[in-house]
Amino acid sequence: MPRGFVSLWRSSGKVRFGLTVIVAMVVLALLSEPIAARIGNGKDPLEITAYQPWLVPSAAHPLGTDRYGRDLLAMTVKGLASSLEVGVIAGICATVFGIVVGFVAGYKGGWIDSTLATITDMFLVVPTLPILLTMSAYMRNITLFHVAVIIGAFAWPFAARTLRSQVLTLRSRPYVDLARTTKMNDVEIIFQELVPNLLPYIGVGFATSTLGAIFALVGIEVIGFGPTDVIDLGMMVNWAITWGALSLGAWPIFVAPIFVLSLLLLAILLVNIGLEETYNPRLRQVAGA
Amino acid sequence: MASAAITAPAETPRVGVRRWLADHPYAAYAIRRTALFVLTLWGALTVTFLFFHLIPGDPITAFIATLEQQNIYGVEAGKEAIEHYKELFGLNGSLFDQYVFYLRQLLITRDLGPSLINFPTPAQVAIYRALPWTIGLLGLSVIISWVFGVALGAFAGLRRNTAASQWLTNVAISLSHVPNYLIAVILVFIFAYRLAWFPPTAAYDPHYEKAFTLEFIGSVIQHGFLPALSLVIVFTCRDLLSTRTLIVPTLGDDYLTFAEAKGLRRGHVIRQYALRNCYLPLITGIAIQLGFVVSGNVIVENIFNYPGIGNLLVQAIRTLDYNTIQGVVAMITFMVLLANLVIDLALPFLDPRVKYWR
Repeated sequence: MPRGFVSLWRSSGKVRFGLTVIVAMVVLALLSEPIAARIGNGKDPLEITAYQPWLVPSAAHPLGTDRYGRDLLAMTVKGLASSLEVGVIAGICATVFGIVVGFVAGYKGGWIDSTLATITDMFLVVPTLPILLTMSAYMRNITLFHVAVIIGAFAWPFAARTLRSQVLTLRSRPYVDLARTTKMNDVEIIFQELVPNLLPYIGVGFATSTLGAIFALVGIEVIGFGPTDVIDLGMMVNWAITWGALSLGAWPIFVAPIFVLSLLLLAILLVNIGLEETYNPRLRQVAGA
Repeated sequence: MASAAITAPAETPRVGVRRWLADHPYAAYAIRRTALFVLTLWGALTVTFLFFHLIPGDPITAFIATLEQQNIYGVEAGKEAIEHYKELFGLNGSLFDQYVFYLRQLLITRDLGPSLINFPTPAQVAIYRALPWTIGLLGLSVIISWVFGVALGAFAGLRRNTAASQWLTNVAISLSHVPNYLIAVILVFIFAYRLAWFPPTAAYDPHYEKAFTLEFIGSVIQHGFLPALSLVIVFTCRDLLSTRTLIVPTLGDDYLTFAEAKGLRRGHVIRQYALRNCYLPLITGIAIQLGFVVSGNVIVENIFNYPGIGNLLVQAIRTLDYNTIQGVVAMITFMVLLANLVIDLALPFLDPRVKYWR
């Protein structure tokens, strides 16, 4: 829906800023290989002892190097790519499951709704991080993909809950009744009538679960559980803690990932607020600045 | 469900329990809410149990694997030894038997079995020892940030066209969703290592006796300052934003104009009239966020090596201490649900507008 996108883009400066940052990050992540090659200038900047360890930031290495002499700028770009990848996989899992549960519950109503809503609430109150930690610590040969799927399996209740409440407001609208009288079946009504109308909410739900998944992985890695053979933003923070970078004063290794993560977070948050203001004009000038 | 007695149709005379419930709507509400609490607790514990027992590579398999690998003097750990441990940890029999064992352990005997961190001390002893640290840290942080958040939020809402307020709001938006453990990392770097104002780890100086002496309490405050600050920063920003969002629409309302027209002082009007309407959503907000708060706190405790329940969990996972892991997860679930229950039961007293009978 190009027209919808244009009006979304025009709606507020917050949305423009947020979308620009998100697109820039995705492009950076997609180009991480060429960027690393460019930084390495012929050799792999992420190879152990590629350079001197703990170099301070300079023209050749804008963020310096780590304990093993790897270039930290290349590492940050690479880490962004891995983190986004995990986030998107988990976000898709969570959104698809959330759509199914939320739409079925909201549309069907009755005992199906109350059962699904109760199950959703149960998943919402189970403290997920301890379970995620335990599982990622015990699964042997865990890969980023596994972690992403596990995180996604725990992230769906939020999406389901939001979508359910939106479906509830739509299900008795005249056009849905009309669709029902023309003998469309439930699946057709959900996917042809309801889903298109809720795309902004699905988008927001996807962005939020993606972000949640990225931070869940960061949390797991800060503690030191999770896949060990990958470079991503959470691992960088973990290395900063376990290698004593905090007491050494080697700031780039944790400032860079934290800055990137916070910027991504802010971008998604601003898009969220912008959408909210556009779709809920009552809130304009109240929520946010 | 049980409607108020006045609206009940006269032709259906209520007798016994139903009558009593209809006459005591709050009691009916409390019973219903408590029943829901029990149901949700059971559901959550079951979900946890299934996750730990059904996923390949679960802690139990890992634990048995380490038991089997313990070859002492070339002799494999005897079958009896493994059987003994399985018996001890409730890993015998079918999945259903194990489930019954697990629920009995948690709910009836309330004995989690031996912990591995310090065998054979029961796991619940370690958990009870760690619990006060976590509750203290979280409780104080939530209360402190609530005070700051409401005050700053009221300021930001009342003076919303000033530059200071807009800056405050923008900073709050940026910080409100940053995970507290990332803030903790930055705080440790600046205040513990660069400036050396606060200690980077532990909860108190081991030189002092654990007693209610000034030195010990001072040491606890000094050690707890940074972990608490990392939590307070995030919570304050969230409370600030919600207070601001809640107070702005009330500002033009007639009852405020009337209160001011009566000649009440402005501070009094704001505190007693405008802000009172904002407390309730803030309190329910705390209830909803509690799960995240506890989760984020696990990581913060780990960064500061704080002896709370989160750190215990991480140590237990490192040492494959299955009983402790299970106990901590159940304890966290229980705490989150209990806090929700308490808040829900208290709401009708805090705000008479809340209709708890449906």
